[in-house]
Amino acid sequence: MPLSCSNVSVAYGERKALNQFGLSLEQGEIRALIGPNGSGKSTALHALAGLIRPVEGRVLLGETPVATLSRRALAKKLAFLPQQPAAPDELTVAQLVRQGRYPHVGLFRSYDSTDEKAIDWALESTGLGGLADRSLNELSGGERQRAWISAALAQEAAILLLDEPTSFLDIGYQVEVLDLIHRLSREKGVTIVMAIHDINQAIAVSDRISLLEKGRLRFDGLPEDLAGSGLIQDIFRVRGRFVQVAADSPPHFDVELARWQRPMV
Amino acid sequence: MNAVASTRAGSNAGWIVFALVAVTTASIVAAALLGVADISHNDIMAVLKGNGSDEARAIILDIRLPRIVTGVLAGIHFALAGFLLQAITRNPLADPSLMGISQGATLSVTTFLMFTVYIFQPGSNTLAELPVAWLPAAGLAGGLLAGGIIYLLAFRLGLSAMRITLCGVAVGAVLHAIAIGLIAGWGSARIEIILEWLSGSLYARTWDHALFLLPFTIAGLLMLPVIYRPLRLLHFDATVAQSFGLAYRRQFSIVLVVVCMLASSAVGAVGPLVFVGLIVPHMAKFIAGRNFVLSLALTIGLGAIVVTLGDLIGRLLGQAEEIPIGVVTAIVGVPLLLALLRKTT
Repeated sequence: MPLSCSNVSVAYGERKALNQFGLSLEQGEIRALIGPNGSGKSTALHALAGLIRPVEGRVLLGETPVATLSRRALAKKLAFLPQQPAAPDELTVAQLVRQGRYPHVGLFRSYDSTDEKAIDWALESTGLGGLADRSLNELSGGERQRAWISAALAQEAAILLLDEPTSFLDIGYQVEVLDLIHRLSREKGVTIVMAIHDINQAIAVSDRISLLEKGRLRFDGLPEDLAGSGLIQDIFRVRGRFVQVAADSPPHFDVELARWQRPMV
Repeated sequence: MNAVASTRAGSNAGWIVFALVAVTTASIVAAALLGVADISHNDIMAVLKGNGSDEARAIILDIRLPRIVTGVLAGIHFALAGFLLQAITRNPLADPSLMGISQGATLSVTTFLMFTVYIFQPGSNTLAELPVAWLPAAGLAGGLLAGGIIYLLAFRLGLSAMRITLCGVAVGAVLHAIAIGLIAGWGSARIEIILEWLSGSLYARTWDHALFLLPFTIAGLLMLPVIYRPLRLLHFDATVAQSFGLAYRRQFSIVLVVVCMLASSAVGAVGPLVFVGLIVPHMAKFIAGRNFVLSLALTIGLGAIVVTLGDLIGRLLGQAEEIPIGVVTAIVGVPLLLALLRKTT
């Protein structure tokens, strides 16, 4: 188990954003965190990344409690990409991606060939090789998102936590990011946890799904089992059903929209 | 380091550094040669060779040179402190003189002068009779104290960069109000003395001032390689920086301590030179572009140049009644800042 947590609760003042949350990951799996707005997906990711101290429960990296690790030691093993991260405007893609090597080089060690290789690999696998010298503010939303993913990749961490990596991207870039995530998991054995809103994408790309509602874990299991559970309709308060589009395709959630008649004149 | 970043500015970087050294040298030489007291160039050359008349020696070695060196060091302090503060607060308008550190130093210097003058030397009426040797130390203590207060307040509220900035401005306003209140209540002829110090002046600075600043300058410059990489990461949101492996709070605090040390020692020695810490980093970034190392180097060099030239202008324009450097930097600084803001946005 590369990363796990049990009975984790996080409180913001009086409100419990996360209540007795538990998760255990297999190496190389893709885990989607889904749930309505404010259900605690982002909080769960922050807790897993050691960025929020839970009021109860603990997060383990292997056998080690995350809270006991230094930020640098943790960053070598685990990369976290927050939702809509901000960077100084004039920063170039290459400069951003170089920051991903900080846990490895630290304060003084100079960048060696291993670091340069990791940076090149991170740029290439996100298709940013040609944009390395552009400033971030010259990029499109999709390119900027890929630059951030690239910086997280440069950390060469075995665990990658992504908070809504596809939000605000058009469908083309969304697929590109999901393909990249899948490739990292299968080719490099990277363990990935991502919060995501699109249920069909979550089902299509992930090995297991955790469904949150009001800070509580309501489902933890295979995408097919989630489709059969009826929980989606219940928790998201939508009418719809799961359909099989093709014989070997994952279940697809088909929403039913309200239909109104024009008044008779 | 930073191979990709420096390729664009790389070819120019050599020339820029060369120009920087040349201009720094030229302004220091000009500041040594020019002045209200008329000394022939031959006399000055003689002094520099170790000869010369007593009068020339006194003017060059005891008046002009210590003043120039103090100015150069203070310029480096303010510029570097501004650069670091703008980086860690992620606020391009951050400046030690706007964020409480200068005001803390001002208050402690005012309080110190008031007490020492009233209690120990009730008859004294001129700056020369005041315990000026202790002013830098008093300023330093006040600046560090203010920095500490800001840090604690912001820490309690959650230590976001924006809160640090706002806390600094608020604490600065309070400290400034108290200092002004004290000065107003003081109400004697000695107000001139404190007012001159408040406007930021290099008048009558001695080797003692330069020697007071030097250890802080050296310590600050030696810290640069240590804080260089964390400084780049402190430009990001706390969560992002932490995800990249930065011990955010520790590194933020280390840089803030360096800022307080540089700014408050300089305020103690020469008074609050407004705008140097604000403008010089913008000038440096404007010239250096994306090259971070170069903009850091330029900040240091331009800090020295701006203060040296600003003081020279004040001396020459004002003649015997010289214009304090703080006034010159403020008057020249505002239009310069506006011009830079227009070009960069």
